[in-house]
Amino acid sequence: MITMAFALLALAGICFMIRLFIGPTVADRVIALDGLLMVITCGILVEVASDDSVAGLDTVLVVALVAFVGTGVLARYVERRGA
Amino acid sequence: MTDTIAGVLLVFGSALILLAGIGVVRFRSIYARMHSAAKAPTLGILAIAIGVSLSVRSVEALVTALLVVVLQLVTGPVGTHLLGRSVYRQLEHDFDAGDELAADEARDVDH
Repeated sequence: MITMAFALLALAGICFMIRLFIGPTVADRVIALDGLLMVITCGILVEVASDDSVAGLDTVLVVALVAFVGTGVLARYVERRGA
Repeated sequence: MTDTIAGVLLVFGSALILLAGIGVVRFRSIYARMHSAAKAPTLGILAIAIGVSLSVRSVEALVTALLVVVLQLVTGPVGTHLLGRSVYRQLEHDFDAGDELAADEARDVDH
């Protein structure tokens, strides 16, 4: 089960990376980066579930917050400098 | 039994994240990609957080998972809305059903 969840998340990461590379606009890359951080969040959560150590949980919170702040800042950038 | 439910929830959540990834790669317009990247992962993270809480079974894990879900529910729509507004103002559009927002703004309707 855990391995399957990790495999699905890895495939999702590959999908987001494809969009990150092909663009074509800055906003597409912002979406892809946001999705990648989501994959990282879920990956750490699955890792926590797999070995029952709560050490990763603080990292999950930080990553989720950074994802939101990053998206907000990059949205401002898109608005000012063009997509 | 609980571990099985937790595993199923983890796989279900990961599958939703993968669906979002496929949508982000396959959809043609940027709004469709944004919609795919914003909606599916919210339920995915919810399922994964429930799975983690069921599998770890400690108060700390439960509280943090709850916090992550609440954070995702609050920040996800806000971030997507910010980005969508920026894209609407910056890109040239060719909407299938016409530009209803521009029509509303021309009539000075409050949003």
